Amino acid sequence: MTQETENHMDTEPSALDQLSSSAFSRRKFLIGGTMAAGLAAVTAACGGDKKVESGSSTTTAGDTATTTAAGGEGDLGVAAFAAGLEVLAVGTYKAALDAAVAGKLGDVPPAGAEFVKTAMAHHEAHLAAWNKVLKGAGKPEVTEPNAQLKPVVDAEFAKAKGFGDAAKLARTLEETAAATYLSAIPSLMSKDAIKLAASIQATDAKHVAILNFVLGEYPVPDVFAKTDKAAKPA
Amino acid sequence: MTIDDRSLNELIVESQDLQVDALRDIKATLPELAEIREERRTSGINVDEINRYNDNRRSVLHNMGIGGGGLAARGLLGGGFGALLAGLFATPAHADEALDIQILQTASSLEVLAVATYGAALTLDFIKNGNPVVIKFAQTTMMQHDEHRKAFQSQTKALGGKEQTAPNAKYKPIVDGAVPTLKAPLDVVNLAETLETVATQTYLMNTTQLEDTASKRVMASVMGVETQHAAVLRAVKALLMGGAPELIKIPIGADAAKLPAAAGSVAFPDAFEPVTAAAGADTGAVK
Repeated sequence: MTQETENHMDTEPSALDQLSSSAFSRRKFLIGGTMAAGLAAVTAACGGDKKVESGSSTTTAGDTATTTAAGGEGDLGVAAFAAGLEVLAVGTYKAALDAAVAGKLGDVPPAGAEFVKTAMAHHEAHLAAWNKVLKGAGKPEVTEPNAQLKPVVDAEFAKAKGFGDAAKLARTLEETAAATYLSAIPSLMSKDAIKLAASIQATDAKHVAILNFVLGEYPVPDVFAKTDKAAKPA
Repeated sequence: MTIDDRSLNELIVESQDLQVDALRDIKATLPELAEIREERRTSGINVDEINRYNDNRRSVLHNMGIGGGGLAARGLLGGGFGALLAGLFATPAHADEALDIQILQTASSLEVLAVATYGAALTLDFIKNGNPVVIKFAQTTMMQHDEHRKAFQSQTKALGGKEQTAPNAKYKPIVDGAVPTLKAPLDVVNLAETLETVATQTYLMNTTQLEDTASKRVMASVMGVETQHAAVLRAVKALLMGGAPELIKIPIGADAAKLPAAAGSVAFPDAFEPVTAAAGADTGAVK
């Protein structure tokens, strides 16, 4: 866990208490929407607007209990699903960093390299925050990426011929994350869970704005943040 | 400083098309409000609602003109005060509506102020005769804030409240004091960034306070846009301060390679958006 995450969570002493004690099952977690064109296949993989009925599936790798986020009910379902997206984001940025170092993305602008490192650190912090919530509620931490999106993201990343392609994929991931949090906020019950989701939504939205600029597009194209690119549990 | 006007205009047109779609989505939620309000009226008292109301009662009481926040904040409910608060707890839906309306009025007041501030900035010679990307950004951002104002005012009315049309009482004097001191683009960028940060963090905090689902959805949606405004302004500020105003252009094209490394991180200093700059929920309430 990063120091920033520690500081953030230290200022939220009641978050775990509220998350673990509030009635998570009162409302089912629902995230709907479609992915951007570059990841259109994920839409089909995710299906239509479905309410999540199942919780997370847990496996054991060595001594570490790991969870594949499959959604679930209530705030903890959102936490697990969000953590799966964060694992995917961290892994994708790590792959981009490795590819850049290996020279596979051509010339990478200094600002691009700095962006990748910064965004990856942010997503690591987000993942740690959600896992702290899950662990505090007695649930296993999520260490595996979203299973529906990962194959598609990997396929898209394999096609990346340069930094621009990688930046477009990163933007799609950031748009998906921001839209997913925005979509989840109305269904969250705990005030602290809402605050955490909204604060991450804001950070991911900022990532999108700067990627828009770097990609030569207007940085704030929408009057209202939208949810059409939100990911949803299978 | 250069700009591909055609490309930028196409992007603006595209943005406006998206705006129409987004507005349609927002308006579609409004009819739900009456049903939600009625549903809340008929529901009984529950502990979560009371806890939430306790958290916010100081500002509600202040808004009702009965003060006594110190006692309320400590939960010392005795005598007439206790009876009064107990009476309020007996109608939690109405109390929540009062707070929700107050929050929406404050949001409207911040949007009114933002529109006025960008409007004032666009009259300054060094802006209106300056970088065309900055002009387009100011114009587009002003338009977006005006749409946000309309959305918040509509939500206020939908909840039975009076729409706020005046600028935020806390921040208007600050802006009024700052405008005469604006001598260069960097000054304007700093002021705008402050307003966008206040709006972002206020909406983030208020998203956690709102009870009404549709209002919460609008608040979080607008928050996601204001935070992007702030990010762009931070990047622009860094380029101005770094002596590279020529890189403030859209599309950036091959000059992306010339951007300083800091451009990749300066727009988002925090992994989690803080709320330290959030305005109080009652700073824009209709008195």
